[in-house]
Amino acid sequence: MNRKKDKGFESPRPFKLTHQVVCINNINFQRKSVIGFVELTIFPTVVNLNRIKLNSKQCRIYRVRVNDLEAPFIYNDPTLEVCHHESKQRNLNYFSSAYTAAVSAVDPDAGHGELVIKVPSELWKQGDEMNVLKVYIEFSLDQPKGGLHFVVPDVEGSMAERGAHVFSFGYQNSTRFWFPCVDSYSELCTWKLEFTVDASMVAVSCGDLVETVYTHDMRKKTFHYVLPIPTAASNISLSVGPFEILVDPYMHEVTHFCLPQLLPLLKHSMSYLHEIFEFYEEILTCRYPYSCFKTVFVDEAYVQVSSYASMSIFSTNLLHSAMIIDQTPLTRQCLAQALAQQFFGCFISRMSWADEWVLKGISGYIYGLYLKKTFGVNQYRHWIKEELDKMVEYELKMGGLPVGSNGHLTCPTPHLHFSIKHPHTLSWKYYKMFQCKAHLVMRLIENRISMEFMLQVFNKLLSLASTASSQKYQSHMWSQMLVSTHSFLKSISNVSGKDIGPLIKQWVDQSAVVKFFGSFAFNRKRNVLELEIRQDYTSSGTQKYVGPIKVTVQELDGSFNHTLQIEENSLKHDIPCHSKSRRNKKKKIPLMNGEEVDMDLSAMDADSPLLWIRIDPDMSILRKVEFEQADFMWQYQLRYERDVVAQEESILALEKFPTPASRLALTDILEQDQCFYKVRQGACFCLAKIANSMMSTWTGPPAMKSLFTRMFCCKSCPNIVKTNTFISFQSYFLQKTMPVAMAQLRDIQNLCPKDVLNFILDLIKYNDNRKNKFSDNYYRAELIDALTNSLTPAISISNEVRTVDNLNGDVRLILEEITRSLNMEKLLPSYRNTITVSCLRAIRMLQKNGHIPSDPSLFKSYAEYGHFVDVRVAALEAVVDYTRVDRSSVELQWLLNMVQNDPAHYIRHKILSMLGKNPPFTKAAESPLCNEALVDQLWKLMNSGTSHDWRLRCDAVNLYYTLFGLTRPSCLPLPELGLVLNLKEKKAVLNPTIKPEQGPDTTEMTGITMGGLITMETVSSVSMSSGVAPPPQGLKRKLDSVVGPLGSSSPEPGQVLQEEDTSKKFKIRVRISSAEDEIDMESPHDSQAFIHHHLNILERPSTPGKEPPAVDQAVLSLPVTPLPSSFGKESTSSSKHSGDHHHHHHHHEHKKKKKKKHKHKHKHKHESKDKERDSHAFSNSPASGRSVRSPSMSD
Amino acid sequence: HRVFLKMAGGERSGCGKATSSPAENYQLARRRTLQVVVSSLLTECGFESAEKATVESLTEMIQSYISEVGRCAKAYCEHTARITPTLSDAVVTLNEMGFNVDTLPGYAKRSQRMVITAPPVTNAPVIPKALIAGQKRTHPSHIPSHFPEFPDPHTYIKTPTFREPVSDYQVVRERAASQRRDVERALTRFMAKTGETQSLFKDDVTAFPLIAERPSSIPYLSALLPSELELQTLEETDSSEQDDQTDSENTPVNNLNDDPGADKENSVLLAGGVVPLVKVSEESMIDNPYLRPVKKPKVRRKK
Repeated sequence: MNRKKDKGFESPRPFKLTHQVVCINNINFQRKSVIGFVELTIFPTVVNLNRIKLNSKQCRIYRVRVNDLEAPFIYNDPTLEVCHHESKQRNLNYFSSAYTAAVSAVDPDAGHGELVIKVPSELWKQGDEMNVLKVYIEFSLDQPKGGLHFVVPDVEGSMAERGAHVFSFGYQNSTRFWFPCVDSYSELCTWKLEFTVDASMVAVSCGDLVETVYTHDMRKKTFHYVLPIPTAASNISLSVGPFEILVDPYMHEVTHFCLPQLLPLLKHSMSYLHEIFEFYEEILTCRYPYSCFKTVFVDEAYVQVSSYASMSIFSTNLLHSAMIIDQTPLTRQCLAQALAQQFFGCFISRMSWADEWVLKGISGYIYGLYLKKTFGVNQYRHWIKEELDKMVEYELKMGGLPVGSNGHLTCPTPHLHFSIKHPHTLSWKYYKMFQCKAHLVMRLIENRISMEFMLQVFNKLLSLASTASSQKYQSHMWSQMLVSTHSFLKSISNVSGKDIGPLIKQWVDQSAVVKFFGSFAFNRKRNVLELEIRQDYTSSGTQKYVGPIKVTVQELDGSFNHTLQIEENSLKHDIPCHSKSRRNKKKKIPLMNGEEVDMDLSAMDADSPLLWIRIDPDMSILRKVEFEQADFMWQYQLRYERDVVAQEESILALEKFPTPASRLALTDILEQDQCFYKVRQGACFCLAKIANSMMSTWTGPPAMKSLFTRMFCCKSCPNIVKTNTFISFQSYFLQKTMPVAMAQLRDIQNLCPKDVLNFILDLIKYNDNRKNKFSDNYYRAELIDALTNSLTPAISISNEVRTVDNLNGDVRLILEEITRSLNMEKLLPSYRNTITVSCLRAIRMLQKNGHIPSDPSLFKSYAEYGHFVDVRVAALEAVVDYTRVDRSSVELQWLLNMVQNDPAHYIRHKILSMLGKNPPFTKAAESPLCNEALVDQLWKLMNSGTSHDWRLRCDAVNLYYTLFGLTRPSCLPLPELGLVLNLKEKKAVLNPTIKPEQGPDTTEMTGITMGGLITMETVSSVSMSSGVAPPPQGLKRKLDSVVGPLGSSSPEPGQVLQEEDTSKKFKIRVRISSAEDEIDMESPHDSQAFIHHHLNILERPSTPGKEPPAVDQAVLSLPVTPLPSSFGKESTSSSKHSGDHHHHHHHHEHKKKKKKKHKHKHKHKHESKDKERDSHAFSNSPASGRSVRSPSMSD
Repeated sequence: HRVFLKMAGGERSGCGKATSSPAENYQLARRRTLQVVVSSLLTECGFESAEKATVESLTEMIQSYISEVGRCAKAYCEHTARITPTLSDAVVTLNEMGFNVDTLPGYAKRSQRMVITAPPVTNAPVIPKALIAGQKRTHPSHIPSHFPEFPDPHTYIKTPTFREPVSDYQVVRERAASQRRDVERALTRFMAKTGETQSLFKDDVTAFPLIAERPSSIPYLSALLPSELELQTLEETDSSEQDDQTDSENTPVNNLNDDPGADKENSVLLAGGVVPLVKVSEESMIDNPYLRPVKKPKVRRKK
């Protein structure tokens, strides 16, 4: 629908922001507080601009002035507490819809915000002349929980000596956490940024540093930044700290910053950044858009890489010295990602969330091109396969992953426990997969229109944007800097002349992947290959594919590509074979790449000329292929097919064929140093599996042992490994992997063979790195991993206590190695403490296998704040595992405690996601841990405890889903009881004017839980919502969407519009209870009064025809700095909000009765528009509960 | 003089030799004669008695003196490529040692001198036969026969008597590995014994002691920076390979800095003051806003 909207971008706001000043006067590291002001220059676009909605979270706002006149304001953040405390509602469907509603109610993309400023009436009258308004807001932040992160190490010395620093962070648009703004990617403006910091500190921010000036006392200095390129507030960032400064030796406009003492590492790590710059500039034929670039490396980073306008913030743990092999490619990849996002994501922003996939797709795609150029085609294809597999697996598991455009808005997602209509309600994993799919789709587009055109399109987008950005005084031009699905597709069709609409429809709008099953038979008489390709399109997450598919057949006479048409009913495809000759002729066999090789053809079927067959070898469909061919064909494919993807596929397939021939093929690959190292690594593990399957018939030394000896041990003494050099990285990676794979070998007693264990112990013993210029820490860590892999469950007679005395001899040796290594780490720590990490994992494995007593205290001590983050994560992983195995509620509490209190955001996130991955129990199984207290605790966590971090809240939701599922947790007392009670309350409390708060939700698409009541209440809601006339532009969008040919049943603008209504309703309802409180809110206040009294006003209608909204008492009793623990709010808001819950309980009750009718209605309505949509799915969707339109609009 | 020299020569030869009993006897006899000499000289000077220790000291002194004269005389004689000292050697020596030789005849003819009995005849010590372990080599044709004979082969042919040091690769590696392991084990045990520990077993906390972890305030430093040991290794391995590289990298930069930077350097210095020299020159070279000096506040600014 977006793409049919030719008019370009239309702002959801009644004003245009052109310039914003952010001035932070004081940053106090001791108290972790920030004081400053912002000034927004806005041009009203409507005649009477009464209200200005801005985004702001957790800021304490002292005063607001509009053109030097004090202006009253309201500050209401519905996401602080999604559902209200006293509610006994505990089902996730309910939470998700309430959360989506809350997020939408302040969604800047729909023109909403937490902060509503009333324009003083004096100015209101001038509004006719469309004068510029300057909105000045003084604010402060005290101990921010999100948005800004303070790292203040607890050591002696001044803040600079301690390495204290602060930086902004967040997931998607989160700038509102640290200053009031229009926190949307689509509202661009120019910036002036000023930061006054201690003289020993450096403030790094977006744009050009114009000057640095001392304050009068010379103890502080002010950094003045100017960002003349229109930029969204969401792309503004800041970091302040005693950074060491490194000017890039190749590009003087690029500056790098790191924490004290790390400068040597910074120098090395940044030494190749200029190559990445050159690469992107060359392929995009476009200069880097900003006049400077800054990289800042900070501790306790939220994510490894985050890109903002002209600067990127990285985790300090990406820095490494020249001695480190393994981290080098990872760091380069992170830099390349960050830089790609500078072009697409920062410079070019997006129109709406539905267009996010374009940005993520393009930046991911050009990053892929960089990978290909720097790390080689093999690495690139391996990466694509990896990403595709990951994405496919996720989609099949979760049942669909629409990435953009219509998909976002219309696709029903009943299978998901979160809404995908808003970035802040997404599961983190989903977001990652979303990025993954986005760049894969870009690659599909490239396949369709060629890379040349693709790059031309990017160039076009960039040059349009840079033309627009230079239009200093024509802010209406700036929307050219926003990309939308529509504009992107238009560029593609302009440049290439191709319509990729169907492709987009299939992979972007529609979720799900294709699942192929292939098998074949060779018809000797006709010399024809009869290929059968079936599809599974019924299970969740799958779709039916119709269209071309490439099949590559390697015959004796060469390799041939065939393009088959997958059609509705044709499963079988006859492919004529080219090779008539049999193998009598001794001649070389030509491969796809033109190479001719000798093959030993004795293994193959004498009647068939087929060596191997591949379906969709170029991965030009988002699919999973399960193909059946004979083992010898897989072996040929492994040995002779030069594509790494084919090799990896055959390795996977060979696991099912444990034969000497497979063994030989794998061994040969292992020995071939021409072969891509990751394929060889894969072959190691496959060989171990095969060896285990062939246990009884295996001859010779344990798999890989003699190979390893030959490759890495001394000629004269084969039991001693050569001293390390690591000059050849390929062999280095192989040397690391082989012992780990070998340790997976098992003998008949299912133990790791003694030979192997001794061999690994010898490797550790004789490891000698003295002459190596590279560090061997990763290698040693993997040797410990190998020891871990060799462990098997202890044979225990009874539940005897594990003691030192009954320790098995081999285990004793292993344990000795582990203790020694772990102890040595204390004296000589390794890079990123890799060895400690491996040792912790090993100890957990020893515990789990019953060799040593199971005890979490060691891990708990390593998990404490103050250890290196990798160590903490490893330790936490062990605690999580312990919690599951031992069903320990103490440890679970300890973990949840840490989720709430740990200073490092990444750790909090990690704990929740690890708990989700390795849950202490699941909804399917009974567990003593599953009790009401836990439900309440988790509920509280996601309801109010995580309001400062979108990602964390979604993690909590995920965990809740894993533990309890979508419906009411089974461990809670029967819901009926609560229901009755609530109903009673409801009767007592609710009155007709309050009811309509649910009104806007009333649609035929409402989710099951919502359905019943809503239909009942439609009447009242209609009356209320019809009183609220939608803002004109909203109406227009709405109409557009309805007209949209795709007939999506729930257009976003409509939904958004309704959300606005919802928020107003909230106010309406409250007004009744607290009308008096508004009175003194009218007059301007001095800042003192603003601190102590919490001002919220809204008296006049903002848009003609709207209901006068009123102040929510809940809002009033809130401190201006909204904190989740606002008890005042609870008490006052309880009565009103209980209404909410009653509704929902009510729905439960009426659900069954009303469902049929409801469904019917729905069908009736949408049949004409979209036949393919499954009506049931709609009515099921928790998200659609919010995708609403007022009844008057729906036809 | 004869006596002198003889004695001196005898002493000399007696010195370096291993003490065998005939040699000891010979020396004792000489020593006794010297004692007699000292005693008679004392008597001559009018002493009636002397303590034994004094006599002993004087004997020692005279022996040293004579030995020194002998040694020097021999040195002079060998210096002039002779093997037997002559009178002139002795004279030069005595002069060298500050003795006026001219007074010697007068002294020898003094009236009150006492006649000393000749020292008892003892067998001069037999020079022990050199070990003959093999056939002596004959002179090659270009060496005249009068030159000394070759010594016995064992004196110049290497005849190892100690055990050969182990150079077998396997053993060396084995040793290095076990040595390292022992050191590490001992060290970690020591650390564990002397500090706090954590234990994997509840029944026996001393088995497999783990050095207790200690949270650090800035954990990333130790985790990211290479340890001193690693740095050392790096220097060792790199010193040969990377010297050239760093040299070539450094020189142009330095040159650049030196030439055009000089002027600016001064000016910036005047302005900024505190910034170190090299940095300033770089700063002025590279126009990066973060390297520019911080401005002083304008007075007007705040008003």
